[in-house]
Amino acid sequence: MPITISQINTAEVLRCMGCPPEKADGVLTAQVESCARELLAAARPRWSWRAAEIALEADGVRLAGGLLLPGKDLRTHLAGCERAVLFCATLGAEADALIRRTERLDMAKALILDCCASAAVEEVCDRIEAELQEKFPGCSFPFRYSPGYGDLPLEVQGPLLDLLDAPRRAGLCATASHLLTPRKSVTAILGVSSGEIEKKKRSCLGCPAQGSCQYRKAGGHCGIS
Amino acid sequence: MEFRELLKAPGPVILDGGMGTMLQAKGLRLGEHPELAALDHPDWLLDIHRAYAAAGTQILCANTFGANREKLKRTGRTVEEVIPPSIAIAKEAAAGRALVALDLGPIGQLLEPTGTLDFETAVEIFAQQVRAGAAAGADLVMIETMTDLQECRAALLAVKENSGLPVMVSMTYEERGRTFLGHAPACAALTLEGMGADAIGVNCSLGPREMPALVEELTRWTALPIMVKPNAGLPDPGGAGYDITADQFAAAMAELTDLGVKLYGGCCGTTPEYIAKLCRALEGKNIREAPRSVPAAVCSPVQVVPIDRVRVIGERINPTGKKRMKEALLREDLDYMLGQALEQTQAGADILDVNVGLPEIDEGAMLVKVVKALQGVTDAPLQLDSTRPEALEKALRVYCGKAVVNSVNGDEETLEAILPLVKKYGAAVLGLTLDKNGVPKTAQARFDIARRILEKALSFGIRREDVYIDCLTLTVSAEQAAASQTLEALERVKRELGLKTVLGVSNISFGLPVRPLVNQSFLTMAMTKGLDLPILNPNLEPMMAAVRCYHLLMNIDIGAREYIASYGNAAVSTTITASSAPQAPAPAGERTLEQIVLAGLKGEAGPAARRLLETMDPLEVVDGVLIPALDRVGADFESGRVFLPQLIQAAGAAQAAFEVIREHLSAQPGGESAPKAPVVLATVKGDIHDIGKNIVKVLLENYGYPVIDLGKDVEPAAVVEAVKKHAAPLVGLSALMTTTLGSMEETIRLLRAEQIPCKVVVGGAVLTPDYARRIGADFYAKDAKESVDAARQVIG
Repeated sequence: MPITISQINTAEVLRCMGCPPEKADGVLTAQVESCARELLAAARPRWSWRAAEIALEADGVRLAGGLLLPGKDLRTHLAGCERAVLFCATLGAEADALIRRTERLDMAKALILDCCASAAVEEVCDRIEAELQEKFPGCSFPFRYSPGYGDLPLEVQGPLLDLLDAPRRAGLCATASHLLTPRKSVTAILGVSSGEIEKKKRSCLGCPAQGSCQYRKAGGHCGIS
Repeated sequence: MEFRELLKAPGPVILDGGMGTMLQAKGLRLGEHPELAALDHPDWLLDIHRAYAAAGTQILCANTFGANREKLKRTGRTVEEVIPPSIAIAKEAAAGRALVALDLGPIGQLLEPTGTLDFETAVEIFAQQVRAGAAAGADLVMIETMTDLQECRAALLAVKENSGLPVMVSMTYEERGRTFLGHAPACAALTLEGMGADAIGVNCSLGPREMPALVEELTRWTALPIMVKPNAGLPDPGGAGYDITADQFAAAMAELTDLGVKLYGGCCGTTPEYIAKLCRALEGKNIREAPRSVPAAVCSPVQVVPIDRVRVIGERINPTGKKRMKEALLREDLDYMLGQALEQTQAGADILDVNVGLPEIDEGAMLVKVVKALQGVTDAPLQLDSTRPEALEKALRVYCGKAVVNSVNGDEETLEAILPLVKKYGAAVLGLTLDKNGVPKTAQARFDIARRILEKALSFGIRREDVYIDCLTLTVSAEQAAASQTLEALERVKRELGLKTVLGVSNISFGLPVRPLVNQSFLTMAMTKGLDLPILNPNLEPMMAAVRCYHLLMNIDIGAREYIASYGNAAVSTTITASSAPQAPAPAGERTLEQIVLAGLKGEAGPAARRLLETMDPLEVVDGVLIPALDRVGADFESGRVFLPQLIQAAGAAQAAFEVIREHLSAQPGGESAPKAPVVLATVKGDIHDIGKNIVKVLLENYGYPVIDLGKDVEPAAVVEAVKKHAAPLVGLSALMTTTLGSMEETIRLLRAEQIPCKVVVGGAVLTPDYARRIGADFYAKDAKESVDAARQVIG
């Protein structure tokens, strides 16, 4: 099931650049809209997923098959879930290339494109999550969780990508220091509970960006809730 | 039968089917490492190989797909522990009925520029596998499931440099006919045949029904045998399986014989049943063997440039006679070169010449840097321009695609040194019709040298289509009779030797008035004699106009489409007049330079500055107009009235004005002001998020600070070295991830340990002022503007 997106949330892009949407003038808004079109033409969203039974253990969450996702934060987050859906998504290497090329010609535009790409990959994840939730009717889901949130280390990116066969299915890999390439990519863990679970909001308190977050400076938040 | 005999024998060659999906069926658990099957489940592996051999497979792929040191890291096993038993089990199953291939899959990390893995590291990773596989008795190597042509090249080089084994190379494509990275089958074909692959093809990702379009593209660009190893149809994204039965698979594959496919197998989801049915479907089928001739062409990984019409080689990336380019090279300012590259391709250049030869720099190392950076931003093929074989070889190694080597000449020593490199890396070569005695005066003597170069190239196994000849342009003001000799030699090389021709055009007019007039006329004359590859400055519109007119008049630009697209609503002046055009006077009521900077109008800033310089002192323009304007934008940014894109645009407009002032100053004797001390910038080791650092760079440059940009993922020691080398009083470090703050701290620690008298400013999403202090930074910059403030404080 290919995911295509035809729109990017302009307000989200502006917030990502540190500009409260209501303060943007017509010129800036027009630039964002034009960059969004250009980015969408270059982006080729690819993804893969797989569901696994989970066991909450003392030192983290164990996936059926053996992989341990370490840390207490994910364990707390998945309380009440008996399964998890793992997925990865990427905008592809050509979105990266567009931004890289634009940086040499027009840095302001490159910045806007970069923020458009960040908004776009979130949009792709929202679509994927909606599609995946439909596969589990009657279930509840805590918000999707990614390596780097709380105490879930980035080191799990490699094993997660392996499980998802991500290099082959989506062209998505991790570097030796566990960063995703292409850059505009996400891996996520979506808990699945057959019963009701307590609705949690993602809080800025647990976020590594804390005081220097661009979104908070612009009077909002990153939208992951 | 050996692999190469197998290729020559009539009829299809049968490969095996899926391995991963077979191991899962045997009971391999989710998360278990399939590459360890030879150690943990040798009986399963033997069964699977035996079943494929029994089904009719003639070449078994050993289970070494992921057995590289990077992927094995997590298993605690080494390449030398895993590959020999994997090969041995395949050989045992083959029992003489089939050949065994060492299977090389992707490393699992992306190479530069999308990822961070360095090309030579990739070569070394594959080389270790090749050595182990060859020692264990593999009959050949199968490089497969690649999505990056550069990774294919690394693997192929590793095979060639570490064994004498034959090698098949296969990439995996999406429905749109490109790999995930956008690489094209045509580019793979040209590049990999050039580098000595024995067969090339397609595997994985798609099913047999999607193969014909890919195979057709491959056959247009290679004479090599073609292999296909598709999946059992298209996969389900959730990993639930594939959509084609063994009978459907066999039927669809059998249709590929008409396209001339030589080797047939299956990938994910295919089983011994699929291969057995495939074997039966192919029984008695003839492979259509049409002779294929591949036209002259060069390529990058995403773009083929066939030399089937006039193709323009842009000459601007060359320091000869270009002060700004020299400065950029000395400062390793790659951005300037990248800007030049993009400007030329936008103006219509098809291929870019790259020359970085300066006595003060290590040409090989610089050529590698520039080639890598250029390929990160442009799809145009490159012409590598150097007289040093060692520099050419370094650049050829990292160039992804089929390059042009500029150049060899009739001198035996040069031919012996450079042609083997051209052959090894599958490049095309440009031959100059001169030798130790200089440039011959007559067309006949130049023609003779051209023939000698061709014969020598053929003797090294270089294709005739890959030899381009430059009959050399001499300055007509010095030797008026020379131009006609050049044209005559060119015509004969083209007609009698059948070679593509090259000519640097601009030299013709040295010392004459209205040079463009002479250049344009000479170019047109040369094209009518058969010039294929003019080397010129594509930013000069009259030259590009001559090329477009030639294509129009020779019925190459069918329907005049390109001509009309270029000039249909032309405000462009393509005429050349004898008097130089006067500067357009300033229209009344135009914006002031200050307004232009505030509005970020880059295009208007230069002309406005030029107008001001007519009546104002340059320093007055800087101190009285530009700096105050920038300060106002900075203050508006801090108070939240304007935002980062507007700050960058304003600074960009200011820089365009600074550029005009700098030119104005350097035109006056002794007028150039000393440059400010430089700032060294780096995104620290392990981090690849560098857009913030790049924004800081642009702003610093706009404020007049030279920047030594070390890029991303930079080793602490490299920062120390650059700071020492350039005596930089300020270093800027960025990190986006919490995980890389450690390398930032380490970099600062090393700078302090070496007692380098520099200040350090740090920035990046996860940093806080408190943390910056703790790791010993002098300044914390919460945004790009504050980095400039730090530079002002430290450097002034």
